[in-house]
Amino acid sequence: MPTNDEALVALLDEAGLTLEDLCRAGAVAPEWVSERVEAGLLVARRGEAAGWQFDAVALKRVRCMVRLERDFDAVPELAALVADLQAEIERLRARLQRAGLG
Amino acid sequence: MQFKDYYQVLGVPRDATAEAIKKAYRQAARKFHPDVSKEPDAAARMSEVNEAYAALSDPERRAAYDAIGQGRRQGEAFTPPPDWDAGFEFSGSGAEGMDAGEFSDFFAELFGRARPGARRHAGPGARFEMRGSDHHAKIVLDLEDAWRGATQQVTLRSPQVDAQGRVALQQRTLDVKIPPGVKPGQLIRLAGQGGAGQGGAPAGDLFLEVHFRPHARFRIDGAHLVCDLPVAPWEAALGAVVPVTLPDGSTLKVRVPAGAQSGRQLTVRGKGLPGATPGDLELVVRVVLPSAFDPRARKLYEQMAAELADFDARKVAAAEAARGEWTHADER
Repeated sequence: MPTNDEALVALLDEAGLTLEDLCRAGAVAPEWVSERVEAGLLVARRGEAAGWQFDAVALKRVRCMVRLERDFDAVPELAALVADLQAEIERLRARLQRAGLG
Repeated sequence: MQFKDYYQVLGVPRDATAEAIKKAYRQAARKFHPDVSKEPDAAARMSEVNEAYAALSDPERRAAYDAIGQGRRQGEAFTPPPDWDAGFEFSGSGAEGMDAGEFSDFFAELFGRARPGARRHAGPGARFEMRGSDHHAKIVLDLEDAWRGATQQVTLRSPQVDAQGRVALQQRTLDVKIPPGVKPGQLIRLAGQGGAGQGGAPAGDLFLEVHFRPHARFRIDGAHLVCDLPVAPWEAALGAVVPVTLPDGSTLKVRVPAGAQSGRQLTVRGKGLPGATPGDLELVVRVVLPSAFDPRARKLYEQMAAELADFDARKVAAAEAARGEWTHADER
């Protein structure tokens, strides 16, 4: 049974993904990402595309948006809105759970 | 392995147009989306619908599926004939975004391959290099494991290409070392544990999204832990130092200030999930009354009722609510 080497395990919390990482993990093209960053639909840290860093939330958002755009022909703004609502649902569920109601 | 009738899953005829398939998928996705559906098995149905759409929305996959699906019915025993897919090319599109565990064996057996199209285009002597795809999966942890860090077994099914270029579905178990202090929603990236690369190119990465099992005592809010703090009436009234057991089994002594009411929140800084920025431990005071069936307690209650006749619980509660007090506990 293989055990992953400790050095190969990275915890992605704060910005930990480059543009290339994000594109590969989300199966999208760099242009797809840059268009959405420039339109304010995705959040990247730092100014220039070459130095962009993304966090785990951004990857989750990319995966949500790309499916909505592909499967529902959603325009990027609508896909981003749904991703926002999804995040809000998760936040509210976490609050319910915190209150012992979830 | 059972045959899956993807047309039946989406509720469309076998000669449905691409547009009709898309429309049926959208309707089903709305009906079974686990966040909104009231259907009891919504998550499982949504996975089926996603899988059916991934198969039928891709013209290459649909053509191959139709070729082997002639005359077959949902649920009947099925084994793909050898080389059933000869003559078909797959570009591998259409299923991105699905988690590794989301496909059935049936789908993975038929279509679960990295980039077979690219492989077929490579003639003798041609050298193709393609990094393996990144895979995504969920990992569900116990709070205790996340607190201490632990090794967790993760079982994944994924297609593997052997030396002869044939694809087989393989189940593999990974021992994943969970870094201490991992939080819900975080991603653990395992370099090189995704899809295999081709032509000597490196394998992709595996991303594990962290989820937590519900815990009997603690609720988790990001890095913060929330739990009830049961206290006796005199501990709440007079103040006390009470023990709280943490997820690692260690004990913390917390001072309950005099006059604490049920529902009052005491925050112990830095005693939530450990990490570079540890979370807080939030304790919600819950006054537990001695049973009035105990004659000693009953006598005391009767004495209080007689001597504190002017005490109005409703008025006091309203005043407490208006003040909205918030107290930080000191760790002793």
